[in-house]
Amino acid sequence: MWTQIFEDAFFSAIAAIGFAAISTPPRNCFAVCALIAATGHSLRFWLMDAQFGAGMHIVPATFAASFVIGCLSVFFSPMTKAPAETCLFPSLLPMIPGIYAYKTFGAMVKFVLSSNSMQSDYYFSQLSSNGFTCMFILICMALGSTLPVFLFGRIAFSATRRKFL
Amino acid sequence: MRTTSTFKEHTAFIGTYAAALLGCGATCVRLEKNIGRIASAYGIEVEMTIMPRHIHLFMRDKSSGTSESAVIEPRKMPISFRCNTLLSRLSWEIADGQIEFSGAGAALQRAVSQPPRSKELVTFMVCCASASFCRLFGGDLAAMGVLMLSTCAGFMLRCHLLERKVDIRAVMFLCALVSSVLGATDMLFSIGSTPEIALGTSVLYLVPGIPFLNAFSDVINRHYICAFSRFMDAVVLTCCLSAGLCTGLLVMNAGMFR
Repeated sequence: MWTQIFEDAFFSAIAAIGFAAISTPPRNCFAVCALIAATGHSLRFWLMDAQFGAGMHIVPATFAASFVIGCLSVFFSPMTKAPAETCLFPSLLPMIPGIYAYKTFGAMVKFVLSSNSMQSDYYFSQLSSNGFTCMFILICMALGSTLPVFLFGRIAFSATRRKFL
Repeated sequence: MRTTSTFKEHTAFIGTYAAALLGCGATCVRLEKNIGRIASAYGIEVEMTIMPRHIHLFMRDKSSGTSESAVIEPRKMPISFRCNTLLSRLSWEIADGQIEFSGAGAALQRAVSQPPRSKELVTFMVCCASASFCRLFGGDLAAMGVLMLSTCAGFMLRCHLLERKVDIRAVMFLCALVSSVLGATDMLFSIGSTPEIALGTSVLYLVPGIPFLNAFSDVINRHYICAFSRFMDAVVLTCCLSAGLCTGLLVMNAGMFR
């Protein structure tokens, strides 16, 4: 279990650093992005694990992990002297439901191309199941991560101040 | 403050600042707070309407009552958190009186003209990120290797085309096409045991995640028009990359077309 959690944390940290590089953050934010992404993603992994974790569904687990990522980004921002979004957005990216989106797209194409009603029913159920899961994961990610920025606005919006209050 | 520089100079500075901050990908709430902070430090009242392709600023001098209105187009630049950080820092320095007006102009220029990071290093980091992403979805070593190659080709093409000012939608389509064709080699030559994962994650580095998240942030702050615009921009880009992926899979007779 611990090996899996560490593996998950390690790869999500690398993913966060790599995707952060595209949006050019300040140099001192890379390590913080990695730390926050590793914490958030491994928390979601633990929450979803049925055997040793909480056995939660991916949607509420994503919300909880995103909220933690949001809080950590806000509380680390005075240390990095960068806006909270600098570490928040790249840290969230490893949680993007890429495979769900791909399956949704695949089911949509197969649904359109299907020749009989049994096939089309099957692909439509695949399309709606994957599509809704993907959509709710995205909403939870966005909502969970941006809430702390507004809840702790005083910290989030004065992090770049030289004399932080 | 007003003795060394005029109201017009201040409003011009605020306009340039707003264009830069929106251009580098800041959320509407940050834009409102930073501009409000600077304007207040210069004794100006400011009202703004943030639209997708321009910002409308109405500024009024608190002491003389002189007013000025400006419609500013955002600066054309890639999303940059470094620029966002420097501009936010500058707004506090102005508010706290740590920087003179002449120094603020120079600092603004420095913030927007930061040299880009080494292209090779960024490409390498994105390749590693894609491979890690593949692993997170359960991909094996072969899928990770294939994905590194497909991401490398796609990302280099993206940089090359963007430098030549090719339309971003065409760039998305072409990069997704190249990455998916190369990502399909895992399936075509039966290299590993998780070719579907390699295919599914081959275009994820192109997903416009930050515009999507900015749009949600704007919704929370009730900037619905700007949020909708950012969201639609991101949806259009996602459609372009989906079309590229679809064409790539069709060409390779892989994935959903198998």
